[in-house]
Amino acid sequence: MIRRVIGTAAAMTLLAGLAACGGGSGGAAATTTLTYWMFQDRTPQAGEVIEKLRTGFEQANKGVSVKIVKIPKDDYNTKLGSALASGSVPDVGVLDQPLVSRFALDGTIKEMPAGTIDEKAFYDGALTTNKVGGKLYGLPLDHTTVALFYNKALVPAPPKTWEDLKRVTAEVHQKDPKIAGMVVPKGDGYGGWMWPGFVAGAGGQMADVEQKKVLFDQPPAVEALQLWVDLLKSSPREITDSDKPFENGLAGMMISGPWDVANIKDQFPDLQLGVAPLPYKTQPAGNIGGENAVVFTKGSHAELAWKWLAYLTNSDNNTELAQALGGFPSNVAAAERDAATFGPDQAAFLEQLKVAQARPAVPQWIQINDEIIAPALESALSGKATAQQALSDAAAKTRTLLGWTG
Amino acid sequence: MATPALAEKPAVTSRPGRRPRRPVFGRRDHLIALLLIAPAIAYFVVFLLYPALAALYYSFTDWDLRTAPNWVGVSNYTDLLFDQAKYPHFWQSVKVTLQYTLIAVPLTLGTALCQALLLNTIRRGANVFRLLLFLPVVTAEAAVGAIWRWLYDPQYGLVNVALGLVGIPRQNWLNTPELVIPALAFIAAWQCGISMIIYLAGLKGIPASIREAAIIDGAGPVQRFRRIVVPMLRPTTFYLLVTGVIAALQVFGLVYVIFSGGGGRSVTGGPEQSGLTYVLHLYLFAFRYDAMGAACAMSFILFVFILVITALQFRFLRQEAS
Repeated sequence: MIRRVIGTAAAMTLLAGLAACGGGSGGAAATTTLTYWMFQDRTPQAGEVIEKLRTGFEQANKGVSVKIVKIPKDDYNTKLGSALASGSVPDVGVLDQPLVSRFALDGTIKEMPAGTIDEKAFYDGALTTNKVGGKLYGLPLDHTTVALFYNKALVPAPPKTWEDLKRVTAEVHQKDPKIAGMVVPKGDGYGGWMWPGFVAGAGGQMADVEQKKVLFDQPPAVEALQLWVDLLKSSPREITDSDKPFENGLAGMMISGPWDVANIKDQFPDLQLGVAPLPYKTQPAGNIGGENAVVFTKGSHAELAWKWLAYLTNSDNNTELAQALGGFPSNVAAAERDAATFGPDQAAFLEQLKVAQARPAVPQWIQINDEIIAPALESALSGKATAQQALSDAAAKTRTLLGWTG
Repeated sequence: MATPALAEKPAVTSRPGRRPRRPVFGRRDHLIALLLIAPAIAYFVVFLLYPALAALYYSFTDWDLRTAPNWVGVSNYTDLLFDQAKYPHFWQSVKVTLQYTLIAVPLTLGTALCQALLLNTIRRGANVFRLLLFLPVVTAEAAVGAIWRWLYDPQYGLVNVALGLVGIPRQNWLNTPELVIPALAFIAAWQCGISMIIYLAGLKGIPASIREAAIIDGAGPVQRFRRIVVPMLRPTTFYLLVTGVIAALQVFGLVYVIFSGGGGRSVTGGPEQSGLTYVLHLYLFAFRYDAMGAACAMSFILFVFILVITALQFRFLRQEAS
């Protein structure tokens, strides 16, 4: 802990020094200042990468200085909301994927001018998270997904299909009743984010925004939820609700993202960790997360702002940036060129991102996820309703909320 | 501490035989007085009155923090109270908060009184124990949340270990809907340090002569507690009850920390929304679902509710107290 504090302090001092140098050399010539908001760095190394990218951009664009404002992730949306309300808006900044549609529809962010980037250069899933009504409103800085983490001591070979998954889960628990087969996600906002990956694995979709149809009460979704309910039989919550059950060897498998790989290797070096793509029923699929960046309508220097975002996501810079942000490059060329630099544990995520699907682009999606879908998952998982009942009820509520009753 | 002092004041100023006060403020004095209280007034207006009035205005709009607010009349209020599709968990949050208040406030006051009585009896080391019992109050909320999540851990938690010693089976405290509120109330009781200090001051304020007289008259410890300590502490209890209820109805930080689980995960209020307190629900609408207008309406509903509850307490409990 103390070492970490010292490390952070040292990095901050270093950064401050670098910033001062940058300001000193380019300050006099700079006439245009672009303000960029982002989440606080995950590690000191990430901060250095951002700084390097910033200097590179300023050198390539004489007379431009990029002012980077870093805000803790938990406070970001609150701060951004207050800034937008008071009019002191950044020119360009990071935006959570599900917020893009909301901000686009009320005119808070700008549509991307045609020709800024080549759409084919990006992974389709990641780019789609920036699309609202077929138009692009931002660029994916990185993208990420969840995959199956397994303990090689308990699960020798990772399951590929849902049937394998059920079998392996049962075997692990049967062998030692004190160990859960897997950590089954919960009916909370986080579980609600992962669940669509399973729905897509059965060939389903959450919603069809163009046709205004809610689809998560259809058979693929019901089967996906039933799978979770079935898995719970060999994965008692008394075991998995403990602190870090998978890491402590109390569960054979769990579902998590790339951000956990480094943590586990660091804190649980003895755990024989394996990572595999999510098991599927009919087709490989996954959910998608990550950071998008957008240009604010009330900000200035829009052209320069798009140039900055194109620079961050081009094939030269995107791998480094994505790794600093804890995700994967959304730029296909960057990802393919640098695939070897990602370790074998990361390969599963990269593989799955090719088939990852974006969340439905409706402005109320966060609320639907948290307030309607998550409780429905929970009521099926706790046995208060069948999967079909819970999802039919949730879909009906969603139709009412969205006004998609036609 | 505060209450007995307040109660004495009127008695002093209305003492008979005192000359009526002449108005001492001239114009100049008025100006000086105004200047002296100006900082306080400015603070009140800028940081309390203006935000409150602005929130009242926004509660009649559909403001989302980004676009210009549109006037929607009372529909935020009526939707919150009656539209289950739009606000499916509003009444759940009311229920959770009321249950929490009903359990947490008596538990906190009881614990605080017990601790104060114990501290009042011991002669040596009272300072050390007072410090230890007060420590939970000054501990950062995030640390408190993390520690209690470990204590309540279904596998290794010390709470379960302790219960196991007396033969009570393990519980999955923070993941069983029925146990969430008691578990949270228990943490609140553990953090009762401020109430404890106020009770301790109340106890010190009971004249020793009364106690001695009671002993001479043959009253045992239980009788002395029931007939002397409890009645003499009534004003203190009333004060703690009123402030405790107000605080419990606004509980937020602890629930947020306990159920956030770290890692930027969203907070949806525990298993089956069993820990979704009123202010947590309000916070989610204000900052996660972009419905600042509705959130402002929620805060005014809470404001009116607290006003009514407090007025009722003054009406029915204070007479008894004095």
